[in-house]
Amino acid sequence: MKSVFRSAICSTLAFSLRSLNHIPNRNSLILLPRYVLVSPSKLSTLTSMATGDSVSHSPHSPALHSLEKQFEEFRHQLDDSGSLRERIRTVASEIESETRLIHSCLLLIHQSRPITEVLEKAKGQIGVLRELYVKLAEIMRECPGQYYRYHGDWRSETQTVVSLLAFMHWLETESLLLHAEAEEKLGLKPLEFGLDIEDYLIGICFMSNDLPRYVVNQVTAGNYDCPRKVLKFLRDVHAAFRMLNLRNDFLRKKFDGMKYDLRRVEEVHYDVKIRGLTMSGNSTGYQEGDEGRS
Amino acid sequence: MFKSSAIHRLCLMAPKPQRFRHFAETTLLGTAAKKPRTLTTDATASAADSDPNPMKDAFSKYAAYLNELNEKRERVVKASRDVTMNSKKVIFQVHRISKHNKEEVLEKAEKDLAAVVDQHISRLVKELQGTDFWKLRRAYSPGVQEYVEAATLCNFCKTGALLNLDQINASLRPLSGPSVEPLQINVLDYLLGLADLTGELMRLAIGRISDGELEFAQKICSFVREIHRELMLIAPKMDDASDMKTKMDVMLQSVMKIENACFSVHVRGSEYIPFLGSEDTNFSLLGVPEIE
Repeated sequence: MKSVFRSAICSTLAFSLRSLNHIPNRNSLILLPRYVLVSPSKLSTLTSMATGDSVSHSPHSPALHSLEKQFEEFRHQLDDSGSLRERIRTVASEIESETRLIHSCLLLIHQSRPITEVLEKAKGQIGVLRELYVKLAEIMRECPGQYYRYHGDWRSETQTVVSLLAFMHWLETESLLLHAEAEEKLGLKPLEFGLDIEDYLIGICFMSNDLPRYVVNQVTAGNYDCPRKVLKFLRDVHAAFRMLNLRNDFLRKKFDGMKYDLRRVEEVHYDVKIRGLTMSGNSTGYQEGDEGRS
Repeated sequence: MFKSSAIHRLCLMAPKPQRFRHFAETTLLGTAAKKPRTLTTDATASAADSDPNPMKDAFSKYAAYLNELNEKRERVVKASRDVTMNSKKVIFQVHRISKHNKEEVLEKAEKDLAAVVDQHISRLVKELQGTDFWKLRRAYSPGVQEYVEAATLCNFCKTGALLNLDQINASLRPLSGPSVEPLQINVLDYLLGLADLTGELMRLAIGRISDGELEFAQKICSFVREIHRELMLIAPKMDDASDMKTKMDVMLQSVMKIENACFSVHVRGSEYIPFLGSEDTNFSLLGVPEIE
């Protein structure tokens, strides 16, 4: 910086000396180096310059005092909202680590553990999630009406939560977890601290992303009926999503991705069906299917 | 006759009798037989687990929610654009100020500003009730910032002081009613608007200098410095700090442009003043190499 600065000064001095012949204005000598200082936006040198200039001129009027007072108030307000955000982020990261635990429980399903066993373990952890959402709702109670100001801080975590809950719900009931049911599972009160519908829908899209893998592994484990069920479910979900008029946003992108999940499940279903595997393993559990595989 | 030949051909293609029977059945029965079959499977499926209906119901609710939200967002964006457009006009009006017409220019600007509030901001107020105020912030924020810019610029020219956020919000209060909660511009939009204000004040200062109103320019200079200094402290605390950071850089450029202009006038004051009022006032003499 220093050497650049010096060379800049030198060059302008040289320039101004040369230009002295043309411009009969002596002050150009002082002026030109100033311009050089303007161009690099190094904050430190510039601010010291600016404040150095201002002290001598600015009169301390009552208007300035009220200006200062207002900004001080803003600083306090923004400090408060900053610390609030900090607290929200802490809870959100706790939610995140909790969803990881649940997710890892649910991943056992791909290793063809019995559904009931997997579900029982995963469900045990929902209680912790509930508590965390109660915490979050308590924090938000301090600033009513500002749910969407801080929404971004728990958004993606909540979407993951919905996707896991919806997957568990499907394993249990073979139906789609609806928005109101998701709220109920998390103990959320719609009027106070609800689940944003767009978050819910994105969560459902995330769940759909997990289904192809599930189907593939179930078939490998000999559960040949699984593709048919998943395909029917996913088709219904996809059809339901097509009822929505989406904007060109993240949800739209996720929905567009859903058709690839659907296609993959269709392929698996086709593979199983064309080989007549559904006939032999029809409506039997995968314990029997396991035998059929060997 | 045609049918039998078709069957004959099928027979040739598919020599296995079993498969032939299968083909013949489907081709002869045709689509008429197919349709009821799919219908019955649908019916049995829905009867079996009765799932599709609640899902459809729920999704039509979500669809209604999304439609309403999108329409609202669209209306807010439109209102915000109108606010921006008309606030810009107010700002241009303020720039028409000169030594002699100050009162009437500002009067017109204030009238236009009041019209912006009445015609366009009032539309925002109705849309941004409850949580929508924060939810749709991205949609209306540009308009509100521009309005803050116009209002503070007007007020500065008139009184030489900063229009406080509380004062702006108080001026918007008449738009609310018994069932309509007032629109209270948030700190963030106010500060972002202030950041833009310095750019306008820079233009104003340069214009005033070229018009010979050095004292006014000097006043603008110290005012802008003050704002820059205060925003410096606040910028990192704001919700979207990156947005503000670029504005701070631009602001510093503006501050320095004013300072340089004031500086050159100060230094060359004795040479400059005789030129006052003459037509050939040249910016290059003033040390203002770039004016946007």
